Amino acid sequence: MANRRLLVKRLKAVRNIRKITRTMELIATSRFKKAMDRAAEAAEYTRKISEIVGDLGRANLKFSHPLLEKRTEEKKSILLVLTSNRGLCGGYNASVLRQTVAHIRGLKEKGIEYSIEVSGKRGIKFMNFQKIAYAQSYTHFEDQPKFEEVEALAGRYVQDYIAGRIDRLDVAYTRFVSSSKQFAVVESLLPIASLGGTAGAKTEAEVDYEFLPSAQEILAEIVPAAFRAKLFKCFLDAAVSEQIARMVAMKGATENADEMAGSLKQQYNRARQAGITSELAEIIGGAAALE
Amino acid sequence: MSVTAVNGKVSQVIGSTFDAEFPEGHLPAIYNALKIEEVIKGNPVKVTGEVQQHLGGGRVRCVALGSTDGMRRGMDVVDTGKPLSVPVGKGTLGRVFNVLGDAIDGRGDVPHEERWPIHRDPPPLESLSAKTEVFETGIKVVDLLTPFVRGGKAGLFGGAGLGKTVILTEMIARIASAHGGYSVFAGVGERTREGNDLWLEMQETEIGTTGRHVIEQTCMVFGQMNEPPGARLRVALSALTMAEWFRDATGSDTLLFVDNIFRFSQAGSEVSALLGRMPSAVGYQPTLGTELGQLQERITSTKSGAITSVQAVYVPADDPTDPAPATAFAHLDAFIYLERKISEKGIYPAIDPLASSSRILDPQYVGQRHYDVARRVQRTLQRYRELQDIIAILGVDELSEDDKMVVHRARRIERFLSQPFLVAEVFTGKAGKITPLADTIRSFEELCDGKWDHLPESAFMYVGAIEEAEEQYKKMQQG
Repeated sequence: MANRRLLVKRLKAVRNIRKITRTMELIATSRFKKAMDRAAEAAEYTRKISEIVGDLGRANLKFSHPLLEKRTEEKKSILLVLTSNRGLCGGYNASVLRQTVAHIRGLKEKGIEYSIEVSGKRGIKFMNFQKIAYAQSYTHFEDQPKFEEVEALAGRYVQDYIAGRIDRLDVAYTRFVSSSKQFAVVESLLPIASLGGTAGAKTEAEVDYEFLPSAQEILAEIVPAAFRAKLFKCFLDAAVSEQIARMVAMKGATENADEMAGSLKQQYNRARQAGITSELAEIIGGAAALE
Repeated sequence: MSVTAVNGKVSQVIGSTFDAEFPEGHLPAIYNALKIEEVIKGNPVKVTGEVQQHLGGGRVRCVALGSTDGMRRGMDVVDTGKPLSVPVGKGTLGRVFNVLGDAIDGRGDVPHEERWPIHRDPPPLESLSAKTEVFETGIKVVDLLTPFVRGGKAGLFGGAGLGKTVILTEMIARIASAHGGYSVFAGVGERTREGNDLWLEMQETEIGTTGRHVIEQTCMVFGQMNEPPGARLRVALSALTMAEWFRDATGSDTLLFVDNIFRFSQAGSEVSALLGRMPSAVGYQPTLGTELGQLQERITSTKSGAITSVQAVYVPADDPTDPAPATAFAHLDAFIYLERKISEKGIYPAIDPLASSSRILDPQYVGQRHYDVARRVQRTLQRYRELQDIIAILGVDELSEDDKMVVHRARRIERFLSQPFLVAEVFTGKAGKITPLADTIRSFEELCDGKWDHLPESAFMYVGAIEEAEEQYKKMQQG
């Protein structure tokens, strides 16, 4: 029979792990609620902006904005990768990084120059291990990313794009659809492909706006704002998805640990009983032989 | 004074042991063979016994080497005056014997000049050979992790149904067919059918390209499961005696295969209580170590010749701490442990790469490169085993990148340790592979270096050298 002391040791270790994973599960659940609320609020804001833009579109104005122009030749791009700072969240980081690697391969094939910016310690570690060079790394986006922080980033991208230093911005993150569905995507944020005209089409009554000072000036204001909102939403989605991934992973881990502790306990009991039986048999046998 | 003239009488029969009473002054010596031959109610009773104990009062206690059915008190017992002896010499080649040295293959008498007693002393200390040389088998996992010693002893430990007999048969097919010397096979307490299979197989297998069959260089001794414990207790000695003759008289390299040495200990424990010894740990005989030591110490290489032996050791209830396998362990140079978890994965031979070891896995004998590669393989697998609990609870995604790489490689190494067997060709449909040692070392080195990380795990199953894994992968993609 297996070594009983070893079994006891393993059993203890598994029980300790279970305690940790169970706690992590509870923490992730409460954090998920907060992150979820923030994401929902941001979603409202983004929707409203889209509505306004949609209304602008219907105003039949000829608008143009540098952020909307698709460059005929894409040469340089930035890839922003959003991962978590902490582990123990199942396949959350792995699936984002898988998408990233596939995307990088695509960029290489097309011959587009790229520079990578990584947010999150997990992503940084992965890049270091795979020896993929990255230009920037951020670790200050925790599970509640602040708008000001994202805004600073967005401002730089907008400037770079307008100045022609980059022709494209992609973000690899986990999109949050519902609490049971999230998936890793690489999304192109710049140039802004559409201004969400479809979202605006559903607004109840058509309102005739009077644009003051002028539609063009409003556009100059609203397009970067829409971009900022979108980028911020990526961060929020990533944060919510991380908490959900952690919740699910820790729930699974707790169940696995329970199962393992059960089977270890059973093994231990069997080993113990076998030991007792064989000792009894030896004593009885010995006594019988002495008679 | 003629010893045989004085007969004794059977005074008691207890299972497979019996007591005999002799007149004062004519007490047979310990280990002497006693014969009983009588016809009772038309049924011939023919039993050979071996004296184990002197009980006093002219009585001796014996172990019967055959069935005691039909024995009764008062039967005449003849003391042969010497221990049991078996025929030795080249006449024994190609024949099959029982424990008493009688041919049981139905081919008539065995021509022999000499009979040697089965109880002999181990070779003296100063005549032992001190050479250490690697014995190549062509099995990757064995050559890499548990290299055999020429003139040494190797043990195959494993629970029920893990393939001990298959590996042993494979060894015979690999070694004996390429081997110039003689082979002796001892079937101790295993299935009679397996013995028959082996006998038939040896008649078919040819030695290299000489056109001669393996059986012509082999003699076989069987005392299988159906025989009483006395026979199983002594059959290993009978076979060993024949092997000793080849070693001492011809000076050639001799191979001794024993399947299964555990049955020897088991037979000893079956008669031990009947002989009145108090059972020791787990009910084994108190003399377990002595009995096994007397047998194992004789299986050794001397300056005149070498005996290389491969022994199967059954591990009861998969517990290697059981006294019988634990005692056998101490006598061996190379130690192969078969693990149920590995056989459950469908990886054969199911050799546990971490529990198995060899005395000569040391840079001094196998060379620095071989040693380094073997240790790297073991380190990778060891790390993988440590991570297994974490993977079971948290999943593989939680591992660090380094550990993921370890798991990735370990899983490939694990599968690459499998190998198609010559004797299993009819079952697996894959031709057996003999992998030269140099290829084995190079393959594992490249695997550890990460040269083959791109191949899927299934490509590594049942191939020889690493290039065959690539071929298999290409075939898989086409098909």
